[in-house]
Amino acid sequence: MQENTSYNISSEISSKINKWLAKFPIDQKKPAIIYALHLIQHETKYIKSEHVNAVADFLGLKKIDVYEVASFYSMFETEQVGKHTISVCTNVSCMLNGSDEILKYLEDKLKIKVGDSSEKYFLKDERECLAACCGAPMMQVNHKYYENLTKEKIDSIIDGLENER
Amino acid sequence: MKDKFNINELCYSTLSSDSPNSYETYVSQGGYVTWKKILKELPDKKEIINSVIESGLRGRGGAGFSTGRKWSFINQDSDAIKYLVCNADESEPGTCKDRDILRYNPHALIEGMLIASYAIGAETAYCYLRGEFIDDVYTSFKNALKDAYQNKLLGKNILNTDICIELHDLIGAGAYIVGEETAMLESIEGKKGFPRYKPPFPAVKGLFGSPTIINNVETLASIPKIIGKGPDWFSSFGTKDSAGFKCFSVSGHVNNPGNFEIPLGTPFKTLLELAGGMKDGKKLKAVIPGGSSVPVVPGEIMLETNMDYESIAKSGSLLGSGAVIIMDEDTNMVEVIHRIARFYYSESCGQCTPCREGTGWMFKVIDKILKGKGTLEDLKTLESIPKMISGSTICALGDAAAMPVESFVTHYKNEFLEYIKLPTEKLANNKSFSEPLNNEFILSRK
Repeated sequence: MQENTSYNISSEISSKINKWLAKFPIDQKKPAIIYALHLIQHETKYIKSEHVNAVADFLGLKKIDVYEVASFYSMFETEQVGKHTISVCTNVSCMLNGSDEILKYLEDKLKIKVGDSSEKYFLKDERECLAACCGAPMMQVNHKYYENLTKEKIDSIIDGLENER
Repeated sequence: MKDKFNINELCYSTLSSDSPNSYETYVSQGGYVTWKKILKELPDKKEIINSVIESGLRGRGGAGFSTGRKWSFINQDSDAIKYLVCNADESEPGTCKDRDILRYNPHALIEGMLIASYAIGAETAYCYLRGEFIDDVYTSFKNALKDAYQNKLLGKNILNTDICIELHDLIGAGAYIVGEETAMLESIEGKKGFPRYKPPFPAVKGLFGSPTIINNVETLASIPKIIGKGPDWFSSFGTKDSAGFKCFSVSGHVNNPGNFEIPLGTPFKTLLELAGGMKDGKKLKAVIPGGSSVPVVPGEIMLETNMDYESIAKSGSLLGSGAVIIMDEDTNMVEVIHRIARFYYSESCGQCTPCREGTGWMFKVIDKILKGKGTLEDLKTLESIPKMISGSTICALGDAAAMPVESFVTHYKNEFLEYIKLPTEKLANNKSFSEPLNNEFILSRK
C-alpha cells in the first residue's frame, strides 16, 4: 500500500457513509468500512494508506480495523491499477468452456499478463467463481457481466472501451 | 411424488414475463398476497414456523438443514433484538441460481424475508450480496426494495399494524468464505470474514451478539408460495426427505446450460435433457452434482441417480447448492481438480492451520503432478492430506476442499498415474497453467 499525503473524504461520500450507518445499531461504526472503501475505490481506482486512515478517522475507528478489511477482501486493490478492471472467470464451469483460451486471448490483446495492469487495463487474477456458470465463459468488466464470450465478442467489448471518451 | 409439475414454479415464476423483476409482474402473479394476509390476520408465529417445518423445506444454500427447525431455535419468549440475514453471497463454484432470483424475482425474496422476519420476531433484516454483484444484480434488488417500501409493505407499522420490519441491502467485497454463515456475520459487522466457533449458534448469539437466523436466497424466495399454497402442496412434490422444488444450475458440457427449478427426486437424466443434453453428442464422463465442494460422481452412476438429497448421498456425493457441473468424455480430470484445488487454496481464510496449510499442499502436489514432475509418493501424499483436514477446522471450507480431491483421486486414479508415468517431454505440449501461488498466503495474495 502506498503512503502519500492526506486524503479528505468528500461531502458526497461522507453523506453516503452516514446514510449507510443508519442501517445498523447506533453504536456500530465498523459495518460501514466495506462500503466506505467501495466508494473511495470507485473514485480513486485503488486504496492507499491515506484512504484507510481517512476512513478510520471518519468512523472513529483504529486504522488497523480498516486496514484489515482493505487487505482481506479481494475486490479492494491496494496497488495502482489501470482504468478498467477485467476479471475473467477461470473456475470449473468456465474452464470447461474454454476460459483459459479467453484469458490468453485477452493477455495477448491487451499485452499484459493476468494479474498485471497497464495504464488503461487491469487484468485481475480472479480465483473465485463469479456466479454466471450457465453463461460460461464469462468475464466482468468494471463489474458488468459479459457472458458466452467469444474472441469476436471480446474484440467488440475492448473496442467499446477504446472508443470511450 | 406428483408426476406432473410446472418448471420454475416458485423462485423463477416471473421468468415467463417480459419484465420479470418488476413489482407489477410479481403482484399480478399473486405476489405479496400472503404477506398482506399475515398482516391482516396476525397469526401466531409458531403457526408459520410449524408450516415451514411441515413443508419439509431444507436450506438451499448447501447444508440442507430443515428451515423451519432452524427458525424454531429462536427463543420467542426473549425480549432480545433478533435479526434475519439473507445470504446472497452466492459463490460456490458452479452455482448461479441466486443471481437469477435477485435479478429476475427479487420481490419473492423480499416477501420471503418479510414472512421469515415476522416468524422469528425480527424487526431488522439484512440481505448481504456478494461484492461482485455490485452492478446490475445489486441494482435490481435495490430497486425492488425501493418499490416494496413505496408500496408500504415494510417499514414502521406496516399497513397500520404494530409490525415494524426494516430490510436493508448490504454489499460484500469479494471473499468466498463469507458465504459461511458466521463469517457473514463477521463481515456484516465490518470485519475480516473469519468463521466463528459454534456453539453458540447464531440463533442464540449471532449478529451484534443478538439471536440471528441466516437463510439462503432460494430458501427465502420459496417461502411465500409455501405459506400461500400450504405446506401440503409443497411436500406433495419431491420425496419424503427431499420435499418440494429446487433450483439446479446446470453448467459445463451441455447444449443448453441454465437454471431449472424442478421437483426434487427428478431423475438426473431428465435434468440433463432439460439442459439440452451433452454438447457435440459426446458421452458423459462425470458430474459434480452440488457445487465444487462435493465429491465428483462418475457419469454412469449419475445416470441412474435422482436429484434429491438421499439419492445423491447414496451415489457418494451431496446435493449441496444444486450446482450440477457436467463433464464429457474428453475432460482431463487432473486439470479439473487442479483448478478446484487452486480455488480453495486462494479462498481459505487462513484461520485454521489444517485448512490453510492443507489446501496449499493439495494444490502444490496436484500442480507438480500436472506438470509431469509427480511421483507415486506424491500421489500417496495427496491421498493422505484430505484426511488430515476433514473435521479438524472451525468451518466447512476445509471439508469442502478435501472432499473433491479425495473423490477425484478415488475415481480417476489412473489419470493421475498416467501423468506420473509419462516422461516429462511428452507433457511439453500440455496446456501450461499459471504458476503455483507463492508461499505467502491469502492475506497478501494481491
